[in-house]
Amino acid sequence: MSEYCLEPASVLDEYKQQFNGAELRELVDVGKVSIAIPLKGEEEVEKVLADHFGIAIPTVGKSVLSEDKMVRVIRLGNDQLFVLLFDQQSDPRSFLANKFGNVAYLTDQSDSWVGLEIRGTKARQALERICMVDLHPEVFLEDHIARTLMEHLGVLIIRNGDDSFVLMSASSSAKSFLHAIITSIRNVV
Amino acid sequence: MTQYNRIDGGLIDRSRVLNFSFNGKQMQAHPGDTLASALLANGQKLVGRSFKYHRPRGIFSAGSEEPNAMVQLRSGAYLEPNTKATVVELFEGLSATSQNHRGSLEFDLMAVNDFLAPFLSTGFYYKTFMWPKKFWEKLYEPIIRTSAGLGKLSLQEDPDCYDKGFLHCDLLVIGGGPAGISAALSAGRSGAQVILADEDFIIGGRLNSEVYEIDQMAGSDWVLTAKAELETMDNVRILARTTIYGAYDHGIFGALERCNDHLASTNNKPRQILWRIYSKRSILTAGSTERSIAFGNNDRPGVMLAGSVRTYVNRFGVAPGKQVAIFTNNDDGWRTATDMAAKGVSISAVIDSREIDPRAKISGAGLFLGASVVDTTGRKGIKSITLSNGQTIECDCLAVSGGWNPNVHLSGHQRGRPEWREDIATFVPGKQLPVGMACAGAANGNLTLNSALHDGYDIAGRQMHDLGFEVAKPLTVDAEDESCEITPFWHVKESRKRAWLDLQNDVTVKDIKQSNLEGFRSVEHLKRYTTLGMATDQGKTANILALAIMAECTGKTIPQTGTTIYRPPYTPVPMGAMAGRSRGKDFRPFRLTPSHQWAEQHGAVFVETGNWLRAQWYPRRGETTWRQSVDREVEQTRKSVGICDVTTLGKIDIQGRDAAEFLNKVYVNGFAKLAVGKTRYGLMLREDGIAYDDGTTARLGEHHFVMTTTTANAVLVFRRLEFARQCLWPDLDVHLISITDGWAQYAVAGPNSRGLIRKIADKEYDLSNEAFPFMACKEISICGGTLARLFRISFSGELAYEIAVPTRFGGSLMEILMEAGKEFDVVAYGTEALGVMRIEKGHAAGNELIGQTTALNLGLDRMVSSKKDCIGKVLSQRDALNEEDANRLVGFRPVDRSHQLVAGAHFISKGNQPVMLNDEGWMTSVCFSPTLGHSIGLGFIKRGDQRKGEIVRAVNPIQNSEIEVEIVSPHFVDPEGERLRV
Repeated sequence: MSEYCLEPASVLDEYKQQFNGAELRELVDVGKVSIAIPLKGEEEVEKVLADHFGIAIPTVGKSVLSEDKMVRVIRLGNDQLFVLLFDQQSDPRSFLANKFGNVAYLTDQSDSWVGLEIRGTKARQALERICMVDLHPEVFLEDHIARTLMEHLGVLIIRNGDDSFVLMSASSSAKSFLHAIITSIRNVV
Repeated sequence: MTQYNRIDGGLIDRSRVLNFSFNGKQMQAHPGDTLASALLANGQKLVGRSFKYHRPRGIFSAGSEEPNAMVQLRSGAYLEPNTKATVVELFEGLSATSQNHRGSLEFDLMAVNDFLAPFLSTGFYYKTFMWPKKFWEKLYEPIIRTSAGLGKLSLQEDPDCYDKGFLHCDLLVIGGGPAGISAALSAGRSGAQVILADEDFIIGGRLNSEVYEIDQMAGSDWVLTAKAELETMDNVRILARTTIYGAYDHGIFGALERCNDHLASTNNKPRQILWRIYSKRSILTAGSTERSIAFGNNDRPGVMLAGSVRTYVNRFGVAPGKQVAIFTNNDDGWRTATDMAAKGVSISAVIDSREIDPRAKISGAGLFLGASVVDTTGRKGIKSITLSNGQTIECDCLAVSGGWNPNVHLSGHQRGRPEWREDIATFVPGKQLPVGMACAGAANGNLTLNSALHDGYDIAGRQMHDLGFEVAKPLTVDAEDESCEITPFWHVKESRKRAWLDLQNDVTVKDIKQSNLEGFRSVEHLKRYTTLGMATDQGKTANILALAIMAECTGKTIPQTGTTIYRPPYTPVPMGAMAGRSRGKDFRPFRLTPSHQWAEQHGAVFVETGNWLRAQWYPRRGETTWRQSVDREVEQTRKSVGICDVTTLGKIDIQGRDAAEFLNKVYVNGFAKLAVGKTRYGLMLREDGIAYDDGTTARLGEHHFVMTTTTANAVLVFRRLEFARQCLWPDLDVHLISITDGWAQYAVAGPNSRGLIRKIADKEYDLSNEAFPFMACKEISICGGTLARLFRISFSGELAYEIAVPTRFGGSLMEILMEAGKEFDVVAYGTEALGVMRIEKGHAAGNELIGQTTALNLGLDRMVSSKKDCIGKVLSQRDALNEEDANRLVGFRPVDRSHQLVAGAHFISKGNQPVMLNDEGWMTSVCFSPTLGHSIGLGFIKRGDQRKGEIVRAVNPIQNSEIEVEIVSPHFVDPEGERLRV
């Protein structure tokens, strides 16, 4: 037994705040894995997703949530998928590696990204102040995703509900990102 | 003062009283008033002074075109100069002061300029302040600077906050007058996403200023009905108090929403929002602006635009005068007379420059047809006018109408030129419009109500059809097409007094003529020579008049004379709104390392490296200079062990069947045969053969590498690799993921580094020199099973490791390393010590990789593999980059060891003059080496590799100093690399 034990820490101390019309919280314990589709290997990746998660590979700009709501697969590019695992896998990469084998290249991104979820009737209004993507409910449909910039920071935005969005950005600038989102909310509520 | 100019009617709320002050005088008004209407209601005619001659000026218009009524709002840090009283929505407690005068508004000492006017003609500055040259900075400039400007800044930090935002729509309707409202109704009924923006605080445009009826109801009531319908539509968004100030590429518009300017306090909410609006289609329904007629002394307080006088009467319930005269060249001017007469205001005369039949009977008014006004009297408020027939008529307000100019500005923001329409004597939008834009209503030259309503509705319908929406049913409204007949009449030639065109910048008819005589033929030159159309109003009421006079001078037509280019912003946008929230610490985001909190707790001094905040050094009690801290950190690391957070280095996960081949193509040296479990230093070139980044790449698996880059170039390298992957070699199976943020990485350096790593690594790993030698790498577990990556690499020149863990463990790992390292007297070191040790070791860094240096310059030419190609290899072989006397990176030390070297010093051989011709290179990096006890440096010097032991001069012309330095090996510490390999 080692003399020392490493303690994990969430980058935003598990931030959670209720505003008038909007709730903002850090998404913790969400595994994030990049899946690179090998050259000419899409069919095999598709098969793994269908066999193990029961979902079809999404098109670019879309995501798919598994029926048990434990896995969300996001298509970022022709050869790039991003997977969110909500079942608190301690080693999400290994979990997926067991499914994919040599069919795809996996990179654990759990610590690279911070995830925030903003939801509520004023969520869109708040995001108007920071997000250049058209988030109109009939344009940016549920499960749609987009890569964009918010206050100079690269952000992956996912619509995961009627008035609910997941915002993912680099973990090193998480505090600036959180501050920017909170400012956006406070400016409208 | 009472509101003795109030009359019946208007859209103000008379049930409430608002108190405000102007120049300290307490006054009262009502909700719905602007500051201008409130001042007029209270009889305040004199509100400001003109820019150049400090002429007394009053309120001229009722909108954003106002050239005269510029005031300062609020006080202290909230002070805002150059605000147009005509667009300021009145609120309780508003405090306004006049500006641009010395002494009081009534007795402005600078009014002496008006008496000196004969000496201050157009171009005066350019002609007068040329000589003597030495007077420029000491005399002329201070005087001009003191005199320039209108209002004054508070010079305090703006305490208000601002925001930005992004909106999207199918149709952006620019202007909420009759055409705009009907356009919004049309598109809204089609189901399209519509934004209707208007700069006023109530929508309706001229419908709120006129007595026209639509469907047998007052125009302002029709506005309320239409607004109510629009508000029931989820797909329509009405933005009042919002100016669309610019039309940009691809249907993008800039808009300024004044959210809280009409409130006494913003309650910490943004005062204004700068919107970027993405539209599929836009419709310019910005209405039109009335222009004046130039005649002698036409700038006196009380001389106003006739349509604006109607606005004050009909919308605000204010009579700008008790005895009003009207001077017009078109039928619209007559409406001012009839509207005022209907409200019981005495009309003393209607003067029409046309010889026509009277357009109306005005009780008690003298009618003068085919006549004009040649002069006025009344310095601080008009008292009388003199007609061309010599008759003098008393009046306290002169309403002037010279016709209406469509507000074409946004139609020209993509350099489109407006076209002249003879029938209405004005410019209308040209054919070259911003993408997706159409124009309707008065902005399109349809100056009558019925035509504007249908124009807006129908054009919006066509746009809806283009976008695939079902077109709404035709508009059925009953409205009048009022007469707008006009005979152009620009200025009164009989006037012998100065006739003003640009009231804000004091440009007269004579100035235009003079500039023409002096050879300024282009309107762009005219504008700049005379200052016509500059500043806050951009000549909205002046430019066409001036163009007409210029056309007269040159013998051309007005369309031949042309207009200046319209550019954003349409009306001024505060700098605060431009900045939005990007102020102070919010100017840009910060990136924090995993050990940031620990470093803060231990008193680190931070430095910004890009967006990162890195610990620069860790002062301890008793250390009074940074050098003491850095020297200690270096000495302790070299003596035992030190820890440095190197998370900021770029980290790129590279996977794929062709990953090795890919690396072979991007690095100058070979990577194809790098063994799994090994790390290699690599250098990358740009296509032109210049070195641009270096770092190590570790092979974790057959098809899996992890590349490190410099902190500064992390994004650049990733971007270039992606370009190479996607565009140069799309057939390679290789994939890149940035993992910079995913792993916390620490350098553990010093003779006891292995001992420290052993204490935290799980026991099953053999970290002996034999099992884990220099440049080895491995995925291991530490602290009882936590995944880690261990690299035996060294930037310091010591036995060293870099250990990486998932970022969530980064803070904890720093604490554990410091705790476990106590027995070795471990020290945390910052970027300064890191830099000192790399200079001592002779490693190139950002100071050497400056985008101008080659592998040869860096002494890394032997790394460039001759057995393979790579990006930049061919061009790196150019003769010019490989000359015999090319710069070489070497070390330098002062001959007198007590001297300090200076980075940037240039090397000159002994006996040569310190001039560019004799320049042989420069010092790139210097530090005090605590290991050697004196200053050392790295630098480039011609043939440096062949000149070791030679003494040259390091010349610093900036500080006028030079010292003798000896050329030495760049490897000051452990040149053989023995420490690395123990």
